[in-house]
Amino acid sequence: MSQGRAVKAAGDACGQVNWDDYLKAYYDKPESARTWSGYEVKEIYTPADRAGEDYRRDIGHAGQYPFTRGIHPNMFRGRYWTRREVVGIGSPADTHERAAFCFEQGGTGLNTIADVTYEMGLDADHPWAMSEVGLTGVNITSLRDMETLVGDIPLDKVSWSVITASTAASVTMAQYVAVAQAKGYDLSVLRGSIQNDPIHFRYCGFRPACPLDLSIKLGADVMEFCTQHMPKWYYTTVNMYDLREQGITAPQEVAFGLGIARCYIDELIRRGLDIDQFAPRFTFYVSCHVDFFEEIAKIRAARRMWARLLKEKYGAKDPRSMQFRFAVHTAGCSLIPQQPLNNLVRIAYEALAAVLGGVQSLHCCSYDEPMCLPTEKGHLQALRTQQIIAYETGVTNVADPLGGSYYVESLTDKMEEEALKVMKQVEDLGGMEEAIRTEWLDRQFEMEAVKRQREADNGQKLIVGVNIFTSEPEKTTPLGVQRIPEQSARQQIEEVRRLKASRDKNKLNQAIQRLREDAQAGRNTIPAMIEATKALATTGEILGTVRQVFGYSYDPMGIIESPFN
Amino acid sequence: MSKEKIKVIVSKVGLDGHDRGAKVVASLLREAGLEVVYLGLYQTPEGIIQAAIDEDADVIGLSYLSGEHLVYTPKIVEEMRRNGLEDVLLLVGGSFPPEDIPLMKRMGVDEVFRGGSLTDDIVGFIRQNARQEA
Amino acid sequence: MSGRTLASPREMVERLVAGDRRAAARLITLIEDQSEQSGELMKLIYPHSGRAVILGLTGSGGSGKSTLINHLIARFRQQGKRVGVVAVDPSSPFSGGALLGDRLRFQSHSLDPGVYIRSMGSRGYLGGLARATGDVVRIMEAMGNDLVMVETLGAGQDEIDIIDVVQTCLLILTPGMGDDIQAMKAGIMEVADLIVLNKADLDGATSCQKALEATIGLAGGRGEGGWTPPVIPTVATGSRPEDVRGVDELVEAIEAHQAYLSRSRTLEAVRARRVERELGLVFKDEVEKLVFKALKGTGKKRDYIEAILAGRGDPYSIVEEVLGAFVKA
Repeated sequence: MSQGRAVKAAGDACGQVNWDDYLKAYYDKPESARTWSGYEVKEIYTPADRAGEDYRRDIGHAGQYPFTRGIHPNMFRGRYWTRREVVGIGSPADTHERAAFCFEQGGTGLNTIADVTYEMGLDADHPWAMSEVGLTGVNITSLRDMETLVGDIPLDKVSWSVITASTAASVTMAQYVAVAQAKGYDLSVLRGSIQNDPIHFRYCGFRPACPLDLSIKLGADVMEFCTQHMPKWYYTTVNMYDLREQGITAPQEVAFGLGIARCYIDELIRRGLDIDQFAPRFTFYVSCHVDFFEEIAKIRAARRMWARLLKEKYGAKDPRSMQFRFAVHTAGCSLIPQQPLNNLVRIAYEALAAVLGGVQSLHCCSYDEPMCLPTEKGHLQALRTQQIIAYETGVTNVADPLGGSYYVESLTDKMEEEALKVMKQVEDLGGMEEAIRTEWLDRQFEMEAVKRQREADNGQKLIVGVNIFTSEPEKTTPLGVQRIPEQSARQQIEEVRRLKASRDKNKLNQAIQRLREDAQAGRNTIPAMIEATKALATTGEILGTVRQVFGYSYDPMGIIESPFN
Repeated sequence: MSKEKIKVIVSKVGLDGHDRGAKVVASLLREAGLEVVYLGLYQTPEGIIQAAIDEDADVIGLSYLSGEHLVYTPKIVEEMRRNGLEDVLLLVGGSFPPEDIPLMKRMGVDEVFRGGSLTDDIVGFIRQNARQEA
Repeated sequence: MSGRTLASPREMVERLVAGDRRAAARLITLIEDQSEQSGELMKLIYPHSGRAVILGLTGSGGSGKSTLINHLIARFRQQGKRVGVVAVDPSSPFSGGALLGDRLRFQSHSLDPGVYIRSMGSRGYLGGLARATGDVVRIMEAMGNDLVMVETLGAGQDEIDIIDVVQTCLLILTPGMGDDIQAMKAGIMEVADLIVLNKADLDGATSCQKALEATIGLAGGRGEGGWTPPVIPTVATGSRPEDVRGVDELVEAIEAHQAYLSRSRTLEAVRARRVERELGLVFKDEVEKLVFKALKGTGKKRDYIEAILAGRGDPYSIVEEVLGAFVKA
């Protein structure tokens, strides 16, 4: 099997043109008649392919069950999707600054992401955290950090999507609420969402911090709390995006994402909530990869599948429960460091697919992500990509403009069919929890990841800059490199130490004790977490206390002991 | 006499949990005929070096995907020097700016394979540069 | 000390006996690669070996062998013992490469100076071990380890070379995987000294344990004084410390078997089997080397093949003739 480097260009390194190669290139055609996920497609689709179609039953208008064409009747004519760039860089102050920059440049939503230390549920002064604080996102150790992050942003006006870290989502919610309450906001006016999908996070490399039972418990605590107290808040964005980043196919992305969603739904129902009480606030985080039509079809299929699942399996009555509400993050794994400016183009197509798919909130990657955290310029380009689609291309004037395309409707059916097959596989294993526990899911990820690399190695998947149209490796990054000032991390660590040394120990101990009791009694832990946060308990301390109640080590890394024992 | 097999340690360092690339490389190196000791996540520089010593490894391969390449590379190189592993190849993969590559090479990294690298290139480099003597 | 300074065989073995890990690592490579000095080195190493407790762990992939080893290392270290571990994984029959992923599960012991861990690819050798595993165990003994654990690849059906290398052989099974049935059919139960039923928290564990004990009961006790392999349920993987169960009982069972071996003097028979195996392997290797050395470059091998194809002979007659020359000489 030949390795890579298909001849596509007629020129060689010396700039000489080989005219035979030129002719080959002139007459070149697609080598593969398959989608990215591997499904064969025909040369053309015609009405004959739609012969058995039942528009009313399977497609419907936008805003109509089963919502294949979109969740709102007029889609973007009613409101554009939220232009929400993910920001997370260095200290809370640095992150606040970049978030404000995005606002100034026209971003319409906030989106903050955590660093690996927060993702593992560690305080900035943890021995393992100290070298890595702030390198890939923001660390929030205490109430003070959240205060700095929020700054003077009006929480009743701005929609804030707190991706931060699913591991610590319960604490993040508590920290956010504590800051909001201190500023005098009523919880019922807060707008935004929190990713809060601890189950999937074990696949992102944070398994020690996300044992399955604890993930379900804390995830559901947040969902329950928000359902009761924060009507404008979306309490989860079940993250299919991260799963797709492992290298799996589009139907697998949908199938596994819905599978994980069901774990939370089942738990909330077990707790006595009615499906229509909470489902309207359920949202998803979805990838948009580079195969344009496949991604659009995938999204449409997901909408139809979710609608049917909620109505038929869970008996939902409220149409809002059946609406697949989602944000898109363009596929990070489709970006490559070679010829980095090409990434701008990939991101643009992926964003267009998301919009044509009917997305509610969109983050465009920055072209430089294979190299570093987004630079200010990179962030700006990402935002402009969204704005050009919104204001120049005209695609927003019509809901589901690709609906009715013989190809797109057929591909939508195909995506649903394949995703249902995967869901059946999971059912046959005993359900999603079993698939997770037996590490079946891990094996799927490993298999698919190796397949993807092989496809690149043997030229089955052509990637510009990798195995076709390659060039000399770049020595610099076009718009500069984002560096995290060491000073930021050191300052934050210092502040954390000062905070721990100077806070009221009695108040703290009382709050931790209450948290411990609530966790032991099986009560919702969020109220106690809020109180503990106000008493200046830190992320690691709050999570660690709950971990201990469940029989796990206080510290996910197994190094530090609880100071409260 | 020349070595029968090239032995490679593949590892992640620190908190970074993105191990998909490391796992894929480990599998594909195996398919290319190398013996790969896969250490997985959350390794310390000391632990990696001790494994390299015990396993008599010819190559250490690290994967950095969370901006930590300039934090840990000096520590790894220092540990290698302290333990007399100068003739062990140090390869690095993952996600970092091309500007940092000359710096890492000056620190002691032998070669860098960022995302988008093809397996053949990695295997070819190892076969050409790993020590030959048992 | 640079790793690759070429010391003399004698110097290397001296360092090994003094507990130098670098020397051990280097020696293992030389023996694994069947380098020219291998014989010389093993002659020097051999007198320093033969005194450690040697445990074997066999069982199919996914049975939890490596995770059990992680716990056993901790227990034996608590007892103050120095521990060596050899973990064997299959080499690809196509590429010759191997993915050695057992170490990952006990890597946390890497930095303990009282623990030495080495991974090995089987390199085409059948039987569950690599060709050099037996020698590597001797190297680990010479290094000063009180206890050496050998983890094999394989399902414990055809891969039973381990039995002749170790003193106490543990077979790891899990409920409902079918390997318990396979094992019973294959008769492996008759030769393992301890049966570990790992993942004993799964459904069907109790009935599986009963079935295993019944089968063992039928086979009767073995050896002088009769050792009946016990079935020990364990749960090796637990994210919580309290989820891990059965390890203490396992350690006790291992110690009980070791005590049985000395008390019943079966240990001598075990030692004899180990030596017999080594003798056989070395004889076979050396004879092969001799013959191929003689044939190499002469073109005779091709002549023999042609002769057989032309009907002027058969492998048995030809070999008898060729070896006859050696015997006379």
